[in-house]
Amino acid sequence: MTDSNRRSSILRAFLVPAVLAASLLTTGCATGLYVDTATKEVPVAELKKPVQPKPTNVVFEFQTKGAPNATATKHLQDGVVSYVAQTGLFAPPAAVGSSMLNITINNIPLTDDAASKGFVTGLTFGLAGSAVTDGYVCTVSYLPAGQGVAIVKTARHAVHATIGNASPPPGAGKPLEAAVAYNTMAREVVSNALRDLALDPAFN
Amino acid sequence: MTKIIRLAALSAIAAAAMMLTGCASLTMSPPKPTIENTAKLRAAELAPVNVGSFKIDAAKAKDDASVSMRGANGLAAPGGSFAQYLGDSLKAELQSAGLLDPASQTVITGTLTQSELNAGMGTADGKLGARFVVTRGAAVRFDRELTVNSEWESSFMAAVAVPLAANNYEGLYRKLITKLIDDASFRAAIGK
Repeated sequence: MTDSNRRSSILRAFLVPAVLAASLLTTGCATGLYVDTATKEVPVAELKKPVQPKPTNVVFEFQTKGAPNATATKHLQDGVVSYVAQTGLFAPPAAVGSSMLNITINNIPLTDDAASKGFVTGLTFGLAGSAVTDGYVCTVSYLPAGQGVAIVKTARHAVHATIGNASPPPGAGKPLEAAVAYNTMAREVVSNALRDLALDPAFN
Repeated sequence: MTKIIRLAALSAIAAAAMMLTGCASLTMSPPKPTIENTAKLRAAELAPVNVGSFKIDAAKAKDDASVSMRGANGLAAPGGSFAQYLGDSLKAELQSAGLLDPASQTVITGTLTQSELNAGMGTADGKLGARFVVTRGAAVRFDRELTVNSEWESSFMAAVAVPLAANNYEGLYRKLITKLIDDASFRAAIGK
């Protein structure tokens, strides 16, 4: 797969960028992706560690408006699972029916009528630029072995995108390649939710 | 000027193509357990069960391999069978709850009876139905057809609408398994 195809594939995996991809295919005008700077990564060293890492089955899923998004899940899964392993909070599951950690990142569009905006930009060759923002809600749910009630924590993030002649909104970081932008967003938002989970007395 | 008109015409054609097709072949995620269903199953005091065969209704055999979305786009299950995918989805939930036992005398089998996806413009919808049967030895303890459906906003652009249709169709499998787990008669049939 060429770099261009890979980028297009990643963009298509996500809701609003799919609109951007349509715009790009139509005219070739430039697209910029910016991870919001309000949510920052929590360094692994700052996570409160349990006495022993908890043997846990980790399940990750990316969702679009609450529905499972297989393509985006595939893009982000390795990075998220790898980050979870680095935290030192969890260990590989010891047996079937052990603890379960469910991580979901749900993509919620925050910009009204993003599809029309992107399409108009495409048809004007980028002169009528537009900026759209996607929201991401990360939910981590930890279900201890043998128990029926999960500990649930959430964190939020955003990715801004510009098409054509538009400036990124305030709070946007530096422009990033699609794969880097979404992996950065995932790592940052998951780290925040895991920090809250690790601080919960019920987890320790 | 001619060049601009030509570019505009080309972009209009490309836009129309994007709106109408999108030309993608997608595959659903491998089945995975959900924390909600795992928690429910653990809390319900159930006995370990085996999951037997899951097949599609013979009259709908052609619908087992893939489902069409706006003509040129297809969605397939990872193993090439939607019926098998349904069975595997149930297995994933039971296994996560520590309730899957291939040696159990209680066996759940299923027949996929409905699999519909309409990725039209404006509002799209999908429907999934299956008959689930629980047997213990020779006794049938549960036999019921369950159906679920979903509706969602669907863009006029296929590049947006097709992935969203695929996502929502995949979500129907989870929804159907959840409906089964929530069925009090089903839980009684696999109770300790």
